[in-house]
Amino acid sequence: MLHRAGFLLATGHSLRIMSHPLDSIFRPRSVAVIGASNAPEKFGYIILKNILEAGFRGPVYPVNPKAAEILGRPCTPSIADLPPGVDLAVIIIPARAVPQAVAEAGQRGIQSAIIISGGFAESGEAGADLQREVVEAARRSGVRIVGPNCQGVNTPHHGLCASWPLLTEQGEIAVISQSGTVGAALMDWASQEHVGCSAFVSLGNRCDVDETDLIDYLAQDTHTRAIAAYLEGIKDLDRFRRVVSGCTKPIVILKSGRTAEGRRAAESHTRSLAGRDELYTALFLQLRIHRADSLEELYDAAKALAYLPRPAGRRILTITSSGGSGILATDWAEWSGLQVAPLPGPVAEALRGLLPPHCIVANPLDLTGDGTAALYRKVVEATAPHFDYQVIIFGDPILQAADVVTPGAPQLVIFLGGAEVERQERARMHQKKVPVFPTPERGIRALVRLFAFDGVAA
Amino acid sequence: MTRPPAADRTRWLPEAEALHLLAGYRLPVIAHRLATTPEEAAQAARDLGCPVALKVVSPEIPHKSDVGGVRLNVATPEDAAAAFTTILDRLTPHPSRLTIQGILVAKMAAPGTEVIVGMVRDPQFGPAVMVGLGGIFVELYQDVAFRLPPLTPAEARAMLGELKAAPLLTGYRGRPPCDLDALAACACAVARMAAEHPEIQEIDLNPIIAHEQGCMIVDAKILVQA
Repeated sequence: MLHRAGFLLATGHSLRIMSHPLDSIFRPRSVAVIGASNAPEKFGYIILKNILEAGFRGPVYPVNPKAAEILGRPCTPSIADLPPGVDLAVIIIPARAVPQAVAEAGQRGIQSAIIISGGFAESGEAGADLQREVVEAARRSGVRIVGPNCQGVNTPHHGLCASWPLLTEQGEIAVISQSGTVGAALMDWASQEHVGCSAFVSLGNRCDVDETDLIDYLAQDTHTRAIAAYLEGIKDLDRFRRVVSGCTKPIVILKSGRTAEGRRAAESHTRSLAGRDELYTALFLQLRIHRADSLEELYDAAKALAYLPRPAGRRILTITSSGGSGILATDWAEWSGLQVAPLPGPVAEALRGLLPPHCIVANPLDLTGDGTAALYRKVVEATAPHFDYQVIIFGDPILQAADVVTPGAPQLVIFLGGAEVERQERARMHQKKVPVFPTPERGIRALVRLFAFDGVAA
Repeated sequence: MTRPPAADRTRWLPEAEALHLLAGYRLPVIAHRLATTPEEAAQAARDLGCPVALKVVSPEIPHKSDVGGVRLNVATPEDAAAAFTTILDRLTPHPSRLTIQGILVAKMAAPGTEVIVGMVRDPQFGPAVMVGLGGIFVELYQDVAFRLPPLTPAEARAMLGELKAAPLLTGYRGRPPCDLDALAACACAVARMAAEHPEIQEIDLNPIIAHEQGCMIVDAKILVQA
């Protein structure tokens, strides 16, 4: 069969038809679920159901020798009986049977396998031996492996949720995680807010595909604009440095195992060598990788880096309906090295003619409790040319707030205290690709990411 | 950042050797002589010009001042001879139980700002270069910055700028600014030493006295694979 591995360059004209060795994981044409099950509590059922319900467009083959049909799909008794052209196998069978399954998948021409099953290197010496057998089988047959002991892969733009929970919201943040739960939590938040993701890959034991392979893929993935990763250690530092140096997309990493006890826990969780934390700080700084200290920071930074435009400078104007929120934003801006510049005289003069007399025409510019979307829009338009970034805080249930903001404009949007109206308007803003932050602190700290490497010597 | 040698496979270079190696990288090291008698100590003080510092040299004593092995600001050659004797008398454990190569007599550097430049070789990351401010800044606040070589002078200067105590280097409250280029050159040289000498496991230039013009390495520890 035709392998899509490698780069195919159509010469003679400008069209470049390119493919990546990991395409079969992110964009398979068809999927086999090895160990599909009729028992609703088993991952063999849950994952098959999620693949079907996420709207995967290619053929899906449950493989199980004992069942005739699962979720309305006829079962294939063995891997050898699969039709040709299956790109990806999701393997959910007992660990001891996995090496054989990988070998058979390779013989059948399957390019990649996601091994959900646990019981490998994370579980002791016998498991480590099994994992070595998997790697050998994969190498012999040229199959690429995600996992084992992982939570799968979800690529919403391709309708592939070979993972759990079922999440389908499409977006531009790619999530790589050494913890299934941490990655799923990020994707869950992104889905809930209608920010969405371009991909989620749970690394598990990283017996083959690691964070560096994934960054290499995501760097050229058209749906991905920012990469967010939760890591306990980096598998191959030299390759990581090389690949990240060549990646032009922003990367933010939450690296755990920063304390002595945390490092010990990371070793038993994923056998990661967590390493000296200050050296990770140096490495990330030198590679221009953003470092997050918490899961929330990881999420906020990824949102800002994926959706906010690069600022031209540090002069910001805060426009708010909430005096307190404006002051909180101003404090964080000052602490973060942003310039809370005064309104130019003529602009202030013009605004006084435009606004009700009780509004505070300064920076922060406080429209007070009766700031309407119409009022916001006037102020946003009048002041935009005079500042590098506008910090727009909606601090009340402001109807049609989403109409005030413009995708791709240098505007940081913060919405709080707006209850049901806020939830509706936030969803509308996220659908038009304007990220919204829940507090002044989180918003400003996310915005500051865009300045993080200004002035850092290469 | 100085730890006792790991197992028995590493050893600290005698300080005179460490300073010699650094001088080979065209780094400014304090003028010094090794004395093995009180008379030699007095002569060294005369040759170098007082005040001088006396420091015991022994592979078994990486932390010289912790065991009474250091005398600073010794004002005359006669005092230097006396300090030589005092150090050996008061040393704990007693010198008879130690390998002592002598006592290093070094010129006292002009006062300035104490800076640390170091290198550790990490099993996963390889060499990493560190800069920090001396004294309580590194010990109490752990105010240090790391980089993985290769290191450019611009990046070494950026490391100094990252320190919380950076204003002390750039002229705080009327103090003259320190020569950042000279300090950056020390960091870059340490990075090169790490690349060219794989046997060096750790370098600790502590302190370097930074001046308005130039800087002076007054104490250097280098850990090598035995």
